[in-house]
Amino acid sequence: MKLLTKTTLYIATLSLFLFFFMGIIFFQVLKNMSISELNRELSRTKEVVVDVFPHFLGGQLKGLPGIDSISIKLAWPGMEASDQFGDTLMLEPMTNQYMTFRYIQFRSEHGNVAYAIKLFKSTTPADKLVEQVTLMMTMMVILFLAGIFSLNRFIFANLWKDFFGALEKLKQFDTVKEPLKLGDPDVEEFIELNRVLERMSLRLCSDYRELREYTDHTTHELQTPLAVIKTKTELLMQSTNLGSKEMQLLQSINTSTNHLSRLNSTLALITRIENQQFTQKLKINLKELLDKHLGMLHELVELRNIVVERRCEGKKQFITMDNGLADILVTNLLNNAIVHNVEGGKIIVEVADGALCISNNGPALSFNEQDLFKRFVRDTKRTGNFGLGLSLVKKICDYYGFRISYTYEMDLHLFRIIFPK
Amino acid sequence: MHILIVEDELPLMESMVSYLEMEGFRCEQATSYHAGLCSLDKHAYICMLIDLNLPDGEGLDLVRLARQNKTSSGIIIVSARNALEERVKGLSLGADDYLVKPFHLSELVARIQSVARRTRTQGEEILKFGVIRVMPEERTCYVNERQVDLTRKEHDLLLYMMANRNRVITKESIADYLWGEYGGGYGSYDFVYTHLKNLKRKLQDAGSPDYVQNIYGVGYKFTLE
Repeated sequence: MKLLTKTTLYIATLSLFLFFFMGIIFFQVLKNMSISELNRELSRTKEVVVDVFPHFLGGQLKGLPGIDSISIKLAWPGMEASDQFGDTLMLEPMTNQYMTFRYIQFRSEHGNVAYAIKLFKSTTPADKLVEQVTLMMTMMVILFLAGIFSLNRFIFANLWKDFFGALEKLKQFDTVKEPLKLGDPDVEEFIELNRVLERMSLRLCSDYRELREYTDHTTHELQTPLAVIKTKTELLMQSTNLGSKEMQLLQSINTSTNHLSRLNSTLALITRIENQQFTQKLKINLKELLDKHLGMLHELVELRNIVVERRCEGKKQFITMDNGLADILVTNLLNNAIVHNVEGGKIIVEVADGALCISNNGPALSFNEQDLFKRFVRDTKRTGNFGLGLSLVKKICDYYGFRISYTYEMDLHLFRIIFPK
Repeated sequence: MHILIVEDELPLMESMVSYLEMEGFRCEQATSYHAGLCSLDKHAYICMLIDLNLPDGEGLDLVRLARQNKTSSGIIIVSARNALEERVKGLSLGADDYLVKPFHLSELVARIQSVARRTRTQGEEILKFGVIRVMPEERTCYVNERQVDLTRKEHDLLLYMMANRNRVITKESIADYLWGEYGGGYGSYDFVYTHLKNLKRKLQDAGSPDYVQNIYGVGYKFTLE
């Protein structure tokens, strides 16, 4: 959720909640005030009526100011002596509708006769007032909310502008390029944020550069002593006075040195990919690429009587990537398909729309399928490889956003790479 | 048969010199860029081996200078750098081959001979070994007067063995020479064995004695004995 949406949502929730309860309380208070005002007026009128009500009995008076209606009955036994207030519905003769009236009932005596007197006053004007006030309050709330929302938007558009600008630059930040330059906003916190980000990016860039130099140096520095060991062993092997035992010792040294140097260069390559040092982008014809490598591996394939089936006739599929990496990708996949094949097995190379599938016969994996693309995972029975080929393939696929998957069905190992559109 | 070696790593230089001298080459040694520069015109080298990383300069500049002098020598860059761009750059400056450290000495010899063949101007060369005759340019091979039909890899393998005659050649070095990065080291030793078996059979069918000595667990030796 966006920052703006989230803030707005918080404000809206809180204000609606507050205004709802405040509104209820406000309405109640207003209502009570109007009722007590009516009661006070009725009480005041009562003082007058106590003095003048005998005139009503005589029919000389029809109404009194401040009240709408009056009823005088004989008091009944058990009637409350104190003043009683209440609400009632009565037919309004003018409009012929039932309306609410507030009344006061009290007892008064005249010439030894007790009377029960009720004074009525319409509540309609007071209700009207409450209604009007509530309506205006609601309008104010709506206006207030609208104001808050637009203020929020304004704040985001102006105050947070520098923040979003920095965010955009941060998104495009790449360790290969220059460190961040974010400028000076006029908000202190953003200045601080920008300084911290700039320092971090500077650090990242220098770390990255150092890492690159380190890998570069390490691999380079390692290759030379390895070359010395390798050539010395080879020279030693040419001595005529060595027994077969010594020869085999030398051969072990030789083999291990070879492994070490291959390991070294492959790890260096993986690191270079991780460091995104391959920026060249070429449009490569997948079919031609496969033909080239299948041609080079032709004899390895024949030696094991492996049949290569190509299903890429007439389909043109181009991929965009570094051509060195493309070679490594295809070589490793094909090599894998040959080395882990069986005598007289089959390799199927298929170029479909947006995908490359390479499958080969071979026994099932001796390890967990999920570990296939991890470094140093290999078939323990087979010596001489170190399980870097497929992890290299995975690295290259990840680098370019290709999706690679592996399945094993009916004696066929299938690697499928799906290229993005 | 002079070879110029420009290499700052002394132990490596010594190995190369010892091995190449066993093969009958005469080596001019230069351990720095400037020593290399001074030695460029000393002899008519059949091949120059130039390291790229030198303490006082860039090997690539030596390659460029040598080519500017219109030298006819073959040039092989020997470097620990294995980036494609470096290769392309080196080869475009006029180097004939690019060998990545660490390498096999036997492979170095084979490459030197191959480069020397390519830069040689006069006529077709015929390589002889016992009853075997090979014409590398035409990719043909004869045992006595009988032509032997070899595949491309078998032909390369034969040339490799002949270049390193009387030397112990490891299976790894053959695999690396024949397939380079494609052999991938792993699993390809079986292929080496199969290739060699096929080659031997073809040669013997044509009437050649078995020149290949098997050195158990290590590799092979191509010898007349």
